[in-house]
Amino acid sequence: MNELLQLARDVLLFKHETYAQHVARADALKRGLALLVLVTLLAGVVSFIINVVGDLRPTSVEARRQEAEEGIQEFTKSLGTMRQFFDVPPGFEREITTYMRAGMGMGFRIEALPTRLPKPVGRVLTDLGAFLSLPFSRLAGWIGYGIWVLLVAKLLGGRTTASQMLGATALYAVPHVLDILNFVPCLGGVLGLVATAWGIAIYVKALAVANDFSIGRAIAATVVPALVGGVLALLGLLGLLTLALVSR
Amino acid sequence: MADHSSVKGPEETAPASSEETALKTLVRLAWEALFLKEEPYAEIREASNPALRGLGLIVLVAVAVALTSLVGTALEWATAPDMLDIQPVVFQGIQQMPWYREMQSDPAFRKGFQERWEMLEMLWSLAPQLFGTPNIAPAASRIILLPLGLTLTWFLYGVVAYLFARLLGGQGGLGQMLGCTALAVAPQLLNLATFLPYVVVGGVVGTWMILCRYVALKTCHRLTWGRALAATLLPYVALAVVVSSFACLGSVAAVLIFGGGASR
Repeated sequence: MNELLQLARDVLLFKHETYAQHVARADALKRGLALLVLVTLLAGVVSFIINVVGDLRPTSVEARRQEAEEGIQEFTKSLGTMRQFFDVPPGFEREITTYMRAGMGMGFRIEALPTRLPKPVGRVLTDLGAFLSLPFSRLAGWIGYGIWVLLVAKLLGGRTTASQMLGATALYAVPHVLDILNFVPCLGGVLGLVATAWGIAIYVKALAVANDFSIGRAIAATVVPALVGGVLALLGLLGLLTLALVSR
Repeated sequence: MADHSSVKGPEETAPASSEETALKTLVRLAWEALFLKEEPYAEIREASNPALRGLGLIVLVAVAVALTSLVGTALEWATAPDMLDIQPVVFQGIQQMPWYREMQSDPAFRKGFQERWEMLEMLWSLAPQLFGTPNIAPAASRIILLPLGLTLTWFLYGVVAYLFARLLGGQGGLGQMLGCTALAVAPQLLNLATFLPYVVVGGVVGTWMILCRYVALKTCHRLTWGRALAATLLPYVALAVVVSSFACLGSVAAVLIFGGGASR
């Protein structure tokens, strides 16, 4: 554990030797994954505790209804702000809140239905499931994007294996430990942005070290898949728009 | 990427201890294969009966995953309300919505809505998992169906990928290929986390399996990265082409049948 903490600290400080030593290890992917999973769980632990405490706190149905009603009021206020920028049709506000209240009513009635195990058990298990799903969600994004980055890196002359490349780029998750404060209004968002920017910088550095090529090429390998994806999405959107216009 | 010459043969890899059982060896190989190392793939390639060992591994992983997910599903089932209780709540909730109130004066709408709702109820009771309902019977049936499904997928992918790999200059045999691609089932081990209810593993397994298959093909056939990548992805492309062709044929057949019927 101490070794992982040392690795995390040096990664955050962009120490070149640390990156090089990490990539050269036979268990680079295992270490990278361990760090990614630990950081993600650590970042989510406070929200998990808050959720569990909130779910176990005895609250009356009326109080929860009131809480949900306040949420609807908040939404109505935000609709008022949107009205300045978008053309919201008359009666839309009343219509949407009616549907929200109907959905809320259904939710409360389903929530009140009996279950085989006591309700608090179900609530804690739901929170635990969501908490333990966090690393899988991060893994899916990282590995899905990593495949394309690996391909571009190879085309740019990179000399890494899939295992080394993924082991190196998994280090991008380290700054996301800042997500632990995600629940704090405003500050959480700012820290999230800082973690994202820091994580991208680490990703580029790790890619450059793993492939033994320049930072410029590493930036290209990191950015090209996103650009290609963006262009394809735009083309798809344009195609759909064209189809819609033609079929009118 | 490491050159394929760096792939060690069985004599160079850490020899399995004589006391190591076949089961332990398979689990060790799957665990190492998960981390995209070339050594476990090289080891199974050189082993005797690699395809048989691969089959054993697939059945083992599939049964373990199905059993653990059965536990998770049972816990979800025990902590969720009965679907038969939820159905009337949803039905009444829909009836209280403004759009329904507006439309209910139309008898044709009421009749059509009732018919569709009854169809939905039937579908709900036949395939509750489609509605995200935890259901123990389908989860239990996965103990048989998952090994069968994974074995079939493994065999079909293995054979098709073998053909492409040979076309691209691969040197491995079919048995070796099946042994290597069986190790690519290792990411399914992530699904063991569904032992706990409400855990969502998601798409990471599929993507990781593609990477494992790439390493399997590269190691088994001693291919360069580009050829290994092509051999890995071509079976998916072939599958997409076959599915699209069948979809097109089906559409043409439907137009011919129903179009002809309408014109009569």
